Amino acid sequence: MAINFKKKNNSEEPVELNEAGNEAAGTRGMSQGQIIRRRFFQHKPAVAGLVFMILFTIFVYSASGIHLGTSDNPFSIQGWWPYTITTVSDFSACGSGCPSAAHPFGQDSIGRDYFALVTRGAEISLMVMVVIGGLGGLIGTVIGAVSGFFGGIIDAVMMRITDFVITIPSILIGAVIGYRVGNLGVLPLAVFLGIFAWTGLTRLVRGEFLSLREREFVDAARVAGASNSRIIFKHILPNSVGVIIVSVTLLLSGSILTETGLSYIGFGVQDPDVSLGLLINKYQDSFNFAPWLFWWPGVIIIAIALSINFIGDGLRDAFDPRQRRRIKKKDFLTTSAK
Amino acid sequence: MLAYIGRRISIAILILFGSTFITYNLQAYAGDPLAELRQSTEQNKQFLIDQLTKQLNLDVPPPARYFMWLQGILGVFTGNADLGMTRNKLPVIDQVVAAIPTTVRLVTVSTVLAIVLGITFGVLSAIRQYSRLDYSLTFVSFFLFSLPIFWVAVLLKEYMAIRFNDFLVNPVVDHIWAGGTAIVLAFVLAGFVGGSRRRVFATFGVGFLIFFGAFEAMSATLWLKDPSIGIIAIGVFGIGIAFGLTHVFTGLSNKKALGAAFTSVGFSLGMYYPFQQLAKGDTNYMVFTALAITMLVVSYFIGYFFTKIDKGPVIRVAMLTAFFTSLLTVIDRVMQTWKPYTELGAVAGRPIQTQGPVNILLKSNDFWINNLDLFTHILLPTTALTLISFAGYLRFSRGSVLEVLSMDYIRTARAKGVTEREVILRHALRNAMIPLTTLIAFDIAGILGGALITESVFGWRGMGSLSIEAIQNQDLNLLMGTFSITAFLAVMATLAADLIYSALDPRIRIRK
Repeated sequence: MAINFKKKNNSEEPVELNEAGNEAAGTRGMSQGQIIRRRFFQHKPAVAGLVFMILFTIFVYSASGIHLGTSDNPFSIQGWWPYTITTVSDFSACGSGCPSAAHPFGQDSIGRDYFALVTRGAEISLMVMVVIGGLGGLIGTVIGAVSGFFGGIIDAVMMRITDFVITIPSILIGAVIGYRVGNLGVLPLAVFLGIFAWTGLTRLVRGEFLSLREREFVDAARVAGASNSRIIFKHILPNSVGVIIVSVTLLLSGSILTETGLSYIGFGVQDPDVSLGLLINKYQDSFNFAPWLFWWPGVIIIAIALSINFIGDGLRDAFDPRQRRRIKKKDFLTTSAK
Repeated sequence: MLAYIGRRISIAILILFGSTFITYNLQAYAGDPLAELRQSTEQNKQFLIDQLTKQLNLDVPPPARYFMWLQGILGVFTGNADLGMTRNKLPVIDQVVAAIPTTVRLVTVSTVLAIVLGITFGVLSAIRQYSRLDYSLTFVSFFLFSLPIFWVAVLLKEYMAIRFNDFLVNPVVDHIWAGGTAIVLAFVLAGFVGGSRRRVFATFGVGFLIFFGAFEAMSATLWLKDPSIGIIAIGVFGIGIAFGLTHVFTGLSNKKALGAAFTSVGFSLGMYYPFQQLAKGDTNYMVFTALAITMLVVSYFIGYFFTKIDKGPVIRVAMLTAFFTSLLTVIDRVMQTWKPYTELGAVAGRPIQTQGPVNILLKSNDFWINNLDLFTHILLPTTALTLISFAGYLRFSRGSVLEVLSMDYIRTARAKGVTEREVILRHALRNAMIPLTTLIAFDIAGILGGALITESVFGWRGMGSLSIEAIQNQDLNLLMGTFSITAFLAVMATLAADLIYSALDPRIRIRK
């Protein structure tokens, strides 16, 4: 497979197009997974986003180490970066702690290394994002699948439950966690936000299941004696995996903004934990005399969210069979010449 | 149908009951309203605690206290709803009623702007799929999607307000900046016009000259100190608008539409001097609205009488042309107040404001000064909000139009010889807009919820910042006041979206 993919990508050989403009001969003999993978890797921004996310995650986690547990009972492995978020060191280059060789991102007002703070903030924001996306995706898929597949009274009840969850504001969940279980660290916050974050995804999955359950292959499976759960998990779910993956990526990029936003207004991650939103809130007034304190967290939030959005766009292109590929003029000429 | 609506409304009431109950208890357990008092060192500490306990019924456990609150709010059916008191013994209802207009003003403007701009660019992006314009708009929309609003807000405050106000002291753009900005703007313009390579280069060249000239002229005349457009420039712009709109809606070959558009421009220009007389400083919204309605009615009839067949598009062109030309006249009128406004003591030469919805030091009876003041305050938060929500509409309408354009009936329309303009305007757009109703219904319902972060960053005391304040101070009744309104609208929006959807799309029927 790998060789095949490589050859296709490097050659300038035009992709043969059928009447509807879909790829035809180029994909002959490839499995569905291979076709999707190939289409995804042809989407340059998505690949760039994916590479960035992988490298960035490794970089951040190795630099600041792994920190779990609570503030009272911490469990941590140190990373390769010499400073931690609590070490206070002398201002190196200039008095206000501007970026220098020892502190590439500068130092904050009391002399803590800003690189350590930002990497830890990014680490926490990434973790919260993945937990919200994972939980939200799981709950949303199950509820959407069940209500779309069974329809009728189950659907009506599930959809009203969704309406109910939509009305609960996430800021309140942040406030409850912050006050009641604040000393447990950020994980409970992420879990509770995830429990309430599935509503949008549910609607999309439900819509997909509503239309797929009317298709012939579902009837065929039922005639062959398949149980409901088999039809849901083996027949319909693989067909709607495109919609699910795409909406999970949207949920991911949305949840990093939710978390940083909540932390910014004080209802998300609390001191002594660090989050990118919390950093922006703390240092927004230093825009004029210490701009590095303001720029870095924002740039990193944008970079993460942007990469994930591009990955999502690439996945959408890859999974959508109705997607028409771009037809270049020269491709068109070679096809018609054949 | 009625039975269905009735059933949905009764379920909605149940949902509201459930969600207010949960929210009430969540908030009650999220904090201790007495925490601050317990730590105080005042002599009469115990007395204050007892007093607040009595006032807020804190001795009753929250689930039971919820029903006391509910009893008050159910008074809405007997005509005297009681939302309770805040911690500071102010009626919640007054606080909420004071916050609603602020929020509505802020969020309505940005929502409408985001919808209009988002749909326009989304449609443009879709009909030029895989063009350079489409790729650029895709990139821009993803970028805007990824922006944290609180971060953008700080940047806007710095660059659009503080530095712009500094710049206004001596509004002269140096040649390098003028040239650079003109190149960027001309590049964007050429991207939108598109077409063959020659046309792109021609647009770029002409655009550059116009923008560069405009910047130089603005610097030379210190235009930003005392801006104005003037009737001649309005006429020139009006003719441009007339050509542009006719091109978009009917094509320039439709002489009737072009004629109607020019008549509208003429009518708006004819109104220029009467408008200056009618809309002096002592005018009010009544006069203003009456003038606007007159303008729309007259331009409707201009379109109506200009052609005998296919009146719809011609009327649309005439009305839109009159609207935009009159808008220029109004902008010109507002510009005339710019200089007096900036010279006022309360403004002190720093017109673009970063905090609050109005300048409280400004005591003016002048209609235009007050409106300009509203504008200079609303500019930053509206920009921030529009930037964020614009991207969603752009992506959504692009996807929707692409979906519709791949349908069989579009192919049929093209095959029978309908022009591309007609295919898009008459066949594709109408159906593509149906899925957008859901999004719009939710956004409009969300207006009253306010913009939590934006309102608090820009110091607007609306529903959003009121909610934040209520949570911070453990002010349960106040939070429930804002929350119950937001939740009510959210539930109603779901219902409205379902009903509108089935009314617009005959393929979707509500199962009885």
